[in-house]
Amino acid sequence: MSAFHTVYPATAPGDATPATQRNVPNRGGTANPSAAALAAQFPNAVRGHEVVNGETTVFIDAAAVADMVRWLHDAPDHRYEYLSDVTAVEYRDFEREIEVVWHLRSIRLRRFLRLKARLAKGAPLSVPSVWSVYKGADWLERECYDMFGITFEGHPDLRRILMWEGYKEGFPLRKDFPMRGRFSRSEQLKNALAANPEARYSMEELTVADAFAELPEDMKRRLAGGEKTGE
Amino acid sequence: MGLTTRPDTTAITLDAGGTGNEGWITTRLDFLVNWGRANSLWPMPFGTACCAIEFMASAASKFDLARFGMERMSFSPRQSDVLICAGRVPFKLAPVIRRIWQQMPQPKWAISMGACASSGGMFDSYAVVQGIDTIIPVDVYVPGCPPRPEGLIYGIMMLQKKIMKERMSNTSLRDEMAPDPTSQLYIPATRIDELSEPFGNSVHQTRSAP
Repeated sequence: MSAFHTVYPATAPGDATPATQRNVPNRGGTANPSAAALAAQFPNAVRGHEVVNGETTVFIDAAAVADMVRWLHDAPDHRYEYLSDVTAVEYRDFEREIEVVWHLRSIRLRRFLRLKARLAKGAPLSVPSVWSVYKGADWLERECYDMFGITFEGHPDLRRILMWEGYKEGFPLRKDFPMRGRFSRSEQLKNALAANPEARYSMEELTVADAFAELPEDMKRRLAGGEKTGE
Repeated sequence: MGLTTRPDTTAITLDAGGTGNEGWITTRLDFLVNWGRANSLWPMPFGTACCAIEFMASAASKFDLARFGMERMSFSPRQSDVLICAGRVPFKLAPVIRRIWQQMPQPKWAISMGACASSGGMFDSYAVVQGIDTIIPVDVYVPGCPPRPEGLIYGIMMLQKKIMKERMSNTSLRDEMAPDPTSQLYIPATRIDELSEPFGNSVHQTRSAP
C-alpha cells in the first residue's frame, strides 16, 4: 500500500494529499492499481499493461470493452466517473493494427487509466460502444467514427459529426487518406455547396425527438406535417 | 473568362473623372449617393478564426471603424452592406456563407480578410475552401496572416474608393458577378483545379478520383 501512496496518494474521498507526481520514470514505475484489478476481474480479455510517464495503459480485447468500462465505472474501489476521451491511433506502419483508446478518469480517487484495443485492418473496424455507461461518449464516438471509420456497436446515433453528412471522400485521419482529400478542389466545392444545412440540421433531428410531448401545440402540428426547420 | 459581367479596369478609369457625356446634375447626384453609401457601410462580420480578433480590434476604440461609417455591426445579413469574411472557411461552411451572401440586399460588397479567406492560406487540406472567391464574388482582398487593423482599414478605404467610382450612366460596376450556371462557382472549375494543383505540401499525394 505504501508503494501506491507515492503515486496515487489519495486513498479516500477528502484526502488532501497533493496529487502531483514527482520524479516519475519515463518507463516503468508504479502501475495504477486498477490495472491489476482489471486483469483479475477479466483474465481472458486483458493482454497486459505498461506504465509510461506514470500513466498506465491496459491492453484489452475490443469485444470486452463495454463490460470492462461498466465494471470500472461501478466497482466501489475504482469509480471511474469520467470518460475524458475516445479516440483512435493509426500507425504509419501499414501492417500495424489500429488502436482504439479510451481515457478514463476517477476524480474521486485521482486515478487515470488508459484502455487500448487493437483492431486488425483486414476485418471491419468495430468495437462495442460505451455509450450505455457514459452518455458523454456519444459525440466522442461519433468523432472517432467520422475521422477513422470505426463503428461503435450499440451507439444510438452514429453519424458524422465534423464532416457534413453525405461526405463521400472517406475518413480523413486514416493514413491512406490524401491530405487534400480524394476529389479535386472544384469537385469538393460542388459537393459542399450541394449540401443543404437547413435540411440536415433540422429542429426535429436535433432537439425534439425526445421532448416532442412537451412542445407547444402549433410546433407539434408543424413538425407532424413534415416541416423540417420548425421556423 | 466569359464568366463575369464585371468591368475591367479601363471601364473604371474612364468613368473615374466623371467628365464624359454626363451632366453636372447627374455627376453631383452620383457623388452624393456614392458618398452616402461609401461612408455608411454596415459590415456583416463573418469571423471564423484569428482574423476575427484583428477585425474586433479594428472595430474597437483604438482603431475605431466607426470613423468610416461602420458604426453598426450588422449581425443580420438582411441589414448589411459589406460581408467581411475574416478567417478560413471550411467546406462545411461554404453553403452557409453562400446563403448569407444571397440574403444580403443589393448594393453589397465583400471583403476577403486574410490569407486563409483569400486563398486557403496554410490550410491546404481536405477541409478548407481554397479562397472564398470561388463561392462568392469578392471586391477587396486584404493580405496578411492575420492582417493588422491598419491593413483592414486600408482595404475598407479601397472599397470606399471603388464605391465612389460608381456612375448611374454606367451600371457595370454595380452589376453583381454571375456564377457559372452549371457549377455555381465564381471561378471556372477547370481554373480552380489548375490553380490548386501545384501548391502546398501534398503535391506528391495521389487522388483516387479526377
